[in-house]
Amino acid sequence: MGDLKSKRKIGNLGDPRMPYDYSKREYGTVPPDTARESFRWVSEVAYKNVHRIVARGYDTTELVEEGYGVVDILFVDFQSRIPLVEEEKMLNYIMIMALEDGLSMPAALSRIVAQSKTFLTQACGASILAFGHAYGAYSAFGNMLEKYLVRAEKEGKTTEDMAEVLVRENLNSEALGVSNLMLKDPAAKGMFIHAEKLGVAGKYIAFTKEIVKSAQKISKEPVDLDMLGATGAVMMDLGFSPEATWAILAVTRAFAAGAHYIEEVERENYTQLGQTLTPKEDYDGPADRPVPPLEEREKIAKPVQTHTPEEWKKAFVERQKLHGSGYAIVEEIKDPSKKT
Amino acid sequence: MDRKPLFKRKTAISYKTEEKTVMRGYNLSELAEKGYSFCDALFVLFQSRIPTGNEEKMLKYEMGAFLEHSMSPSAAGAIGVIAGRPNLPCAVAASVMTFGGVHGPGAAHGYMMNKYIERARVEGKSLDEMAKILVDEYLDAKKPVMGMGQPQHPDSDPRAEPIHVKQEELKLGGVYLEFQRAIERHFHARRKKEGKSRVGVNVVGAGNAALMEIGFSPNAGWCIGSVCRGYSCAAHALYHMKKGHAWGASKREPMVQMIDLSMIKYVGPEDREVPKQEERQEYAGKQKEKGEYKKWVI
Repeated sequence: MGDLKSKRKIGNLGDPRMPYDYSKREYGTVPPDTARESFRWVSEVAYKNVHRIVARGYDTTELVEEGYGVVDILFVDFQSRIPLVEEEKMLNYIMIMALEDGLSMPAALSRIVAQSKTFLTQACGASILAFGHAYGAYSAFGNMLEKYLVRAEKEGKTTEDMAEVLVRENLNSEALGVSNLMLKDPAAKGMFIHAEKLGVAGKYIAFTKEIVKSAQKISKEPVDLDMLGATGAVMMDLGFSPEATWAILAVTRAFAAGAHYIEEVERENYTQLGQTLTPKEDYDGPADRPVPPLEEREKIAKPVQTHTPEEWKKAFVERQKLHGSGYAIVEEIKDPSKKT
Repeated sequence: MDRKPLFKRKTAISYKTEEKTVMRGYNLSELAEKGYSFCDALFVLFQSRIPTGNEEKMLKYEMGAFLEHSMSPSAAGAIGVIAGRPNLPCAVAASVMTFGGVHGPGAAHGYMMNKYIERARVEGKSLDEMAKILVDEYLDAKKPVMGMGQPQHPDSDPRAEPIHVKQEELKLGGVYLEFQRAIERHFHARRKKEGKSRVGVNVVGAGNAALMEIGFSPNAGWCIGSVCRGYSCAAHALYHMKKGHAWGASKREPMVQMIDLSMIKYVGPEDREVPKQEERQEYAGKQKEKGEYKKWVI
């Protein structure tokens, strides 16, 4: 390889604006980089050899032989430490509460995937994808707590004052941790009480309580601590980062998603391509219309390019009216590589 | 706030009202408040029952042993996905989805055990006799015996035999452990007779025998094993997300990265010129007629 010489210009590749001469580009792969250490799987979390699997320095077989279990090893993997007995108890409590949530999104996704006759693991994986910045928004919630606690310290404000600022700035956020979802269910508040009883409550629970108080003052409708706020705050008091919390609870829910997959396969039928109908009464797009002959395309089609900011704005606003075009979603992404 | 069900299903697993979430009849808060463990809750979820203390201990042991496995397809999957910096759950989901036909095939091992135990019952054979039949049938057909062998732990997975021993210590041995042990015996004997090296039991063979012994179905066992691994894969993804370079090709790192250009070894067709559109039909016709392309079809 490497001896092919291009004898002609292809398409626009001879255009002088190209960054280099495309006809002279080399063929063949890049030789191994001998100047640097060759690639290896670098990890702070775990390694294994033929006879051992070691997580954060602890041999995992020795851990389980010594009586440590799955919940302890979550502390080992994510925090590189053995938890206190009370911390292990608290995480057990949280994981039981996070395991099942009825036919909510993770279960629904798992069941929908199951309908296509897939592996169980595909359905469990799909259920994890339900965890975003609204449902199970543990990363968003935890990072919000962190951000405002840092602000309180920088601005010399009390946590009570900063909680009010936080609520005013995030009242409509799905990740506030306070909502009208748990007005009749004592489970969220029960989790805080349990954490206090076990002596594992810390600054995140305290701050979340202030947030609840502020939200109840500011909100026009009755609100209270919800499961996101309770679970997120306790997990952070147990030392888990917002992202670790997010992942642990999404995986925990996936066990039950597996049960939902199984029940779906046991009790329902599979679904084939083309089987599912969408009734016309659910459709509110353009009325049925004939497809124009291809030859008339240039006569009928209107180009959408705009040439001034004013034209652009007018077109943009018009495009926002079309559901499914994406123009109505406006997100400010500062640095997507930092967004979890 | 709209709290209507996403879709309608009859379910025997759980219900959720404004007041409580109930799984298999038990209020989740009550389960947690009364001191049951997460492993207990998994028995309730999949088997609708509170386990004995020893059964709970067995599951705790097994999940603890299975959770972390350093670099395997699941962790590699999570690390590969997080290199593009999607939301973290994408990497975790990918890791769970790597569990297929050869990576932790728990359900398949369970179905194999159930099928042959049933045959022993119907044909009036002992479990030991049926284990020999299983091993012979699989090896004669040149099929791998599920539950045996692990490429990274050639002389037995470090977790496997301790799981068997723990099951015995907890007095949880039954038909599955007896059958699995018999499979291993006959497997080793046949390989020895054929002059082949010893291939140890893997964590699926040992772990799944224990899971089925404590009442989990093949699919439930598979779910427990593969989802449990998702925890550690999340840690691997998170480590790379927080302490590594996105994309995995940085030249600034002292070590060559996962997808550095120099990592590519190409073994496909020779470099060749792109044919002109005017020549396309003739070119494509000859290419098809010659048929050399077929060796590259995948």
